[in-house]
Amino acid sequence: MAKNDKMRKDRIQKKFKEEGGFEIDLDIKIKAIDDEFSEVPPADEMRVPLRQQVGSAGDPIVEEGQQVKYGQKLSEDEDDALTVPVHSPVNGTVKEVMRYENPLSGAPEPTVIIETKDEEREPYYDPMDPDKVSRDEMIERVRETGIVGQGGAVFPTHAKLKDAKDRVSHLIINAKESDPNVACDARLMIEEPEVMVDGIKLMAAMIGADNVIFATRTTEGEMPKLEKILKREGIEIARIRPNYSVGYGRLLVTEVLGKEVPDDKNPTDVGALVQNVLTAYAVSKAIRDGEPLIDRGLTYYSKDVGGKNLWVRQGTPVSKVFEFLGESPGKYERVILGSVMRGTWISDPSIPIIKAHQGIIAYKEEEPHPYEDQTWCIRCGYCNDVCPVDIYPNLIIEAQDIGDTDWLQKLNPGACIDCGLCAYVCPSHINFRPKMKKAKSETSKSKLKQI
Amino acid sequence: MSEDEKKARPYREVDTPHVHIGFDKNELMLKTFLMMLIIAFASVIVMGMPALIHILVALGSVLAVYTTIDSYQRMKGVELTYDSPASPLVAGMIVALCMTVVGPDLGGRAPYTVTALVGVLTMLVFKYGQGRYFRRKYINPAAGAKALVLLVLFGINYLAETFEGLFGGALDGGMIFHSHHSPFELDVLDPNEFVDLLEWGFTTELPVFGTELTATQSLFFWQTHSWIGGAASIVTLIVGAVAVYWLRYKWRIVVSCFVSMLVLSVVIGMILTGDYSIWEMVSMRVAFHVFTGSFIFMVFFMATEPQSTPMPEISQYIFGVALAVLTFAFQLYGIVGGSILALVILNIATPFMDKIVIKKAYGFKGKSAR
Ligand code: SF4
Ligand code: SF4
Repeated sequence: MAKNDKMRKDRIQKKFKEEGGFEIDLDIKIKAIDDEFSEVPPADEMRVPLRQQVGSAGDPIVEEGQQVKYGQKLSEDEDDALTVPVHSPVNGTVKEVMRYENPLSGAPEPTVIIETKDEEREPYYDPMDPDKVSRDEMIERVRETGIVGQGGAVFPTHAKLKDAKDRVSHLIINAKESDPNVACDARLMIEEPEVMVDGIKLMAAMIGADNVIFATRTTEGEMPKLEKILKREGIEIARIRPNYSVGYGRLLVTEVLGKEVPDDKNPTDVGALVQNVLTAYAVSKAIRDGEPLIDRGLTYYSKDVGGKNLWVRQGTPVSKVFEFLGESPGKYERVILGSVMRGTWISDPSIPIIKAHQGIIAYKEEEPHPYEDQTWCIRCGYCNDVCPVDIYPNLIIEAQDIGDTDWLQKLNPGACIDCGLCAYVCPSHINFRPKMKKAKSETSKSKLKQI
Repeated sequence: MSEDEKKARPYREVDTPHVHIGFDKNELMLKTFLMMLIIAFASVIVMGMPALIHILVALGSVLAVYTTIDSYQRMKGVELTYDSPASPLVAGMIVALCMTVVGPDLGGRAPYTVTALVGVLTMLVFKYGQGRYFRRKYINPAAGAKALVLLVLFGINYLAETFEGLFGGALDGGMIFHSHHSPFELDVLDPNEFVDLLEWGFTTELPVFGTELTATQSLFFWQTHSWIGGAASIVTLIVGAVAVYWLRYKWRIVVSCFVSMLVLSVVIGMILTGDYSIWEMVSMRVAFHVFTGSFIFMVFFMATEPQSTPMPEISQYIFGVALAVLTFAFQLYGIVGGSILALVILNIATPFMDKIVIKKAYGFKGKSAR
């Protein structure tokens, strides 16, 4: 084992420590960090959803039978600030433009089916010289290349950059990688630190932030190469608590700057822009190489295969990833896309990977299912203790059950960030998600929050 | 889980997170039982056979009701209320440990029939019945059952002395409202009478080396006239503290109740000294009010019962303080062991206490959060 690897292993955090003394095991993450990225080849047929971010889908700008190139735009809607173009992940032919189950919503949404011709990757856009273009041109490139937040929230990056431009003093890079089943951010920090840091500097230049803070749960010496580069570039490293919930953008602002982000405001309103570390990588690739956001790193985990870091193009059916790993989806009862804490459970392996998916995790029937033995609430209060936003999930459910809407309103279910910690610790295995969702819809005026 | 919820499961986002910490209700119950088993063991050493019989009677009566309910539900093919005997076992052990044994010196006889009755009522009415009817327990089952039985016995005792025979002199044998405690004959307020009471009730001899223990010493280590769960109150204190930390009981209740009782006993010890020095009186007051079995066991294992106690942090502190104050007041009025009544009263107030003050959510604190 190389000296650096040994040093990193010795220093690595074994558990996340949550409020109330609860812990999240990081076994999968630790095992997966050492696995080098492998590239999953595209499938013969790619299913590319035209909406892969919060906001709405762009309009399709290709038709059936049309030849498309790798990186060519498939959709566009320049009028909608939260819509970004989606690009072809392969050279090929458009087979169909149809409505297909969207991994974000579970509902049929516009999707382009492409028959793959080859695996070539010729950047579609011209490289940009950041010294010769304006900041607005760079932000427009970020939009044009379809970059969205890579931490799982998929908020359009250009919209956040625009909002933050000349308004914020701090750019906080979220290198926390909170999801316990994901190691792709950490792996990329080991494999591509130069590109990543370049993306960070480009974003700082775009918004004119004086202070750049690299927020990480890692300990000193765990990522020596990256640390050296950050030091060289004068980027401050903030070593934050190893909590799962701290990775949530708003809470990260509090963790790093000690400022609360008011519920009706965005982090930019308190002087900070939070961007994910993988997003920084994508920004550098888009500006320097003309690469649209077509693929992403993700971590696959199953008991049989262990943790694997993969580079997967958007539109690749999950079944192709299984095939690449020599696995069969039929072996598994539950396949989860994204985070094991927040991701969606898919029943059909033809569902495609999109920009939001930082992980795939496959469970067999015999592996424990968290909600099989649901029973009554015993009011132990664990859920209240662990909640990172200081609401009372169990009182919310009680208020909802008895229909006490005034009390429900006071309990503020709208502040819930869907972190899943309440259900994670509940000894009665209560499934909070649908109940909290209902409570939120009953009480809050829905508003899209930037995180 | 309701049928609707079961049907709703295929919905894509319903089941998040997809992992669980791996600590469930049954494990919580079994570990709680294990903790109390240590206390029970210590108590049997101190109190001997009567304590053991009480424990067996309480566990037996609760488990008998549990088995009946379980068999009935299996026969009818309906959803089982209890998927394991863990929770009934805890209830049974609490019933056992909140029963009173009176040392042989005082001529008391342990009322096993009362224990059995409290066990049956705990399981049938206050645990199963309450849960089924309200889908939640508002009153601590063992406390509710014991308070009910004792109130009835109290009435009987005063209405017709003859009924006492029914319980084999049980009412003289050490329950909270038995005749040497009532009608509020014990003057716990007067310092000199308080010391007499202490010496009469608690001075004892260790079975080894014939060591004579003062009342204060025996209240810390060796109570033969007390709730079974507090016979070796130092053991109860240590095991209780470990359980609160390990099993994450509502520690705010324990801390606030314990500290409040400590403060109250120190204050009264300093004010009403009688023929004794402040130090003597304070140590006797602390030993009696804080370390007597009816308080020390109750504060760790009954006042923390999750369903019947408040959720918000401030409310838990209020609950703890109020429990100490009420118990203290009952003790001063001669209702020794009245902690159980105090607990039931506060259990009833819990739904209101839940609404007193809640923390502000993130995003609404209106200040620097850290
Ligand atoms: S953790 Fe579960 S059992 Fe405990 S109070 Fe919350 S909902 Fe109830
Ligand atoms: S999911 Fe919502 S209610 Fe539950 S712990 Fe997270 S923020 Fe709190």
